Amino acid sequence: MNFRLARVWIAAAMLFARVEAADAHIIAARLGDFYTGALHPLTDLQDLILWAAMGVLAGSLGAAKGRWLVLVFPLGLLAGLVLGRVFGVVSAGPAADAGMILVLGLLLAAAARVPATLLCAIAFGLALMRGAANAGDLGPETDRLLFAAGLACAGYAAITLTMALTLTFRRLDGGPAVAWRGIAIRAVGGWIAAIGLMMMGFALAT
Amino acid sequence: MTGNGRTMSSRVVSSRAVPGLLVAMAALVLAQPAFAHEQVAVGGGLVRGLLHPLTGMDHLIAMVAVGIWGAQLGAPAIWVLPITFPMVMAVGGVLGVLRIPLPVPEVVIALSALVLGAAVAMRLRLPFAAAAVVVAVFAVFHGHAHGAELPGSANPLAYGVGFVVATGLLHLCGIMIGTLTRWPAGERLIQGLGVVIAALGCYFLAQSLGAAA
Amino acid sequence: MRYWRVTLLVLAALILPRQLDAHEATLGVLEFREVRPGAFVGRWTMEPSIGAARVDLRVPPHCFLRLPEMNCGEKGLVGPITITNLGADMSAVLIKVIPIGGEPRSYTISSANPVVSLLGTSDPTLQTWVELARTYVNYGIDHILLGADHLLFVLGLIWIVGGGWRLVKTITAFTVGHSASLAAAAFGLIGVPERPLNACIALSIVFVGVEIVKQQRGEAGLTARYPWAVAFTFGLVHGIGFASALAGLGLERRLLPAALLFFNVGVEIGQLAFVLLVLALIWAHRRLDAVLPRWGDALPAYAIGSVSMFWFFGRLLRVLAAT
Repeated sequence: MNFRLARVWIAAAMLFARVEAADAHIIAARLGDFYTGALHPLTDLQDLILWAAMGVLAGSLGAAKGRWLVLVFPLGLLAGLVLGRVFGVVSAGPAADAGMILVLGLLLAAAARVPATLLCAIAFGLALMRGAANAGDLGPETDRLLFAAGLACAGYAAITLTMALTLTFRRLDGGPAVAWRGIAIRAVGGWIAAIGLMMMGFALAT
Repeated sequence: MTGNGRTMSSRVVSSRAVPGLLVAMAALVLAQPAFAHEQVAVGGGLVRGLLHPLTGMDHLIAMVAVGIWGAQLGAPAIWVLPITFPMVMAVGGVLGVLRIPLPVPEVVIALSALVLGAAVAMRLRLPFAAAAVVVAVFAVFHGHAHGAELPGSANPLAYGVGFVVATGLLHLCGIMIGTLTRWPAGERLIQGLGVVIAALGCYFLAQSLGAAA
Repeated sequence: MRYWRVTLLVLAALILPRQLDAHEATLGVLEFREVRPGAFVGRWTMEPSIGAARVDLRVPPHCFLRLPEMNCGEKGLVGPITITNLGADMSAVLIKVIPIGGEPRSYTISSANPVVSLLGTSDPTLQTWVELARTYVNYGIDHILLGADHLLFVLGLIWIVGGGWRLVKTITAFTVGHSASLAAAAFGLIGVPERPLNACIALSIVFVGVEIVKQQRGEAGLTARYPWAVAFTFGLVHGIGFASALAGLGLERRLLPAALLFFNVGVEIGQLAFVLLVLALIWAHRRLDAVLPRWGDALPAYAIGSVSMFWFFGRLLRVLAAT
């Protein structure tokens, strides 16, 4: 219990530490393009919220549905990167991102029993969007292969860890599901949906 | 086979503390180059968003009162509240972002502190639907006030995250305080708190009416 | 199975890493002569081909630089010096610092090491130590995080040993091994030519890959039985590899032990972070019940093996090319 709580707190603290951390360019100069690709999404609040929401949603649905995302999500990121790079498809725009945040938040808040195929489709779509958005920031001197590998690794690690942490918190399998934990996750969904709703309004206003 | 099982379980146990540690490490390592840049004012936006609901006394007490009242009403209010309140507030936030004016916002926000404080003090047991409507109306007004600030922020997304998180945490505070109702002395304490909140609401109401007049 | 391996080897040999072009070095030499404590006169004794004016030189923030003058005040010349626009037309700059009373020292800034940290011209102060620690801990972290071969070796060890006490012991043995040989190499007690050494490091990973396959077939390999011994032995080899990264930094002898310590601390931090990440991911996979299907059991081992074999051939070729 203590351990878990501590973990959640540390994870939250990390979120804030990460937000401050690391301009992609400094990382590039310091550690090369693999780490640029891996850390680029983590310096972007948009990515951070969307990835976390996706991971929490998948984790709250249980291991049987969530585990597909271990593969689907990074593959989607790669596909998005290719789309963005080769076909010049850029970011779908702030409204689409905000809409995605809103949808994920609503699904989470409603504790919807999303079927596995739909979950995979959402994850792939989201990864596609974010992959393309990350491609937009590729510099001309960036080694694309290394950048893509870094991005996919980051996506894989982030989604896998978030899902596992959520699953452990929720205790869907192994241990009794405690009611307030489910509500806590749904409340987080409410927060995410609220953020999405406001960003939607903001995107439409500007 | 048993031996194998034992090594497996020991592995699982040993790796249980791992994610937290790992995350801390990563944060440490990655925070290193942080000093060198100011990219998109994420930190600034986040802090401003976090502080905005906390610095306005009228907002702060109303949010805590919502949490306490929810806890007093018990299920289903105690769990519907934290899930839906942010969303309803975001509706108000959108109105604020779009610059759609609401009538006398200052007065309504002060009134909300007064009404919610009074409800807590009197242990007012409204039916769930009625309570939900009251809270929702106030939520829209509070969200409107925060949302109006959003477009001016250096990083709107960070600001939004900050203010939603701050509001949620204030509720949590209220709900935690509200769980004191289990003990008679705690109940008394909470009612006293409700009186204080209502009194502060009165003060803010008088102030805003004075400003309006 | 044997055909498979042969095919892999042939493939690896075919896609050999591109040899770097031996570029004509376009070198510049900049000399700073201390005239008063903290005040320097700088001049280009050898101007880079792009012209001295176009070199984007950055000095520590407390120093005021307007060539030919540089004033660092009381703190002295302590902190990072970097050149941001190193590239094809300017590959390296040699910085020579001549203190009032003391030996001149030289530092090389190249695209491989774009930042050098100077430690002042007088006796080391607390600030010198802090600066030294910051520089070399970071340098150690960077080195291990960029050393895919070291990380792959550690990954292989984790794969064989699993978690728990055994892993702690194994990683500790690896750490002791590479620290010992790093120190020995840095103090010049042992000297091993770099290219054969790198080939050896690659071979050590191949060994671990083979051991994983053995373990999966139910044979108890050397690593499974004495993981700490294997880790220690190969730690010795990897440590000499770390030392070659430390060399050529223009370090003074009196500061070498401290620099070595901080560098090693950085390496351990990076290594620990990596081990924790891998353990966390293993934990997450167990939690999600997302494991490879039975046919994929051998996949990681073969991946580790073929990547390291690829490196081995690439590095072997460089050894042969050099002789």
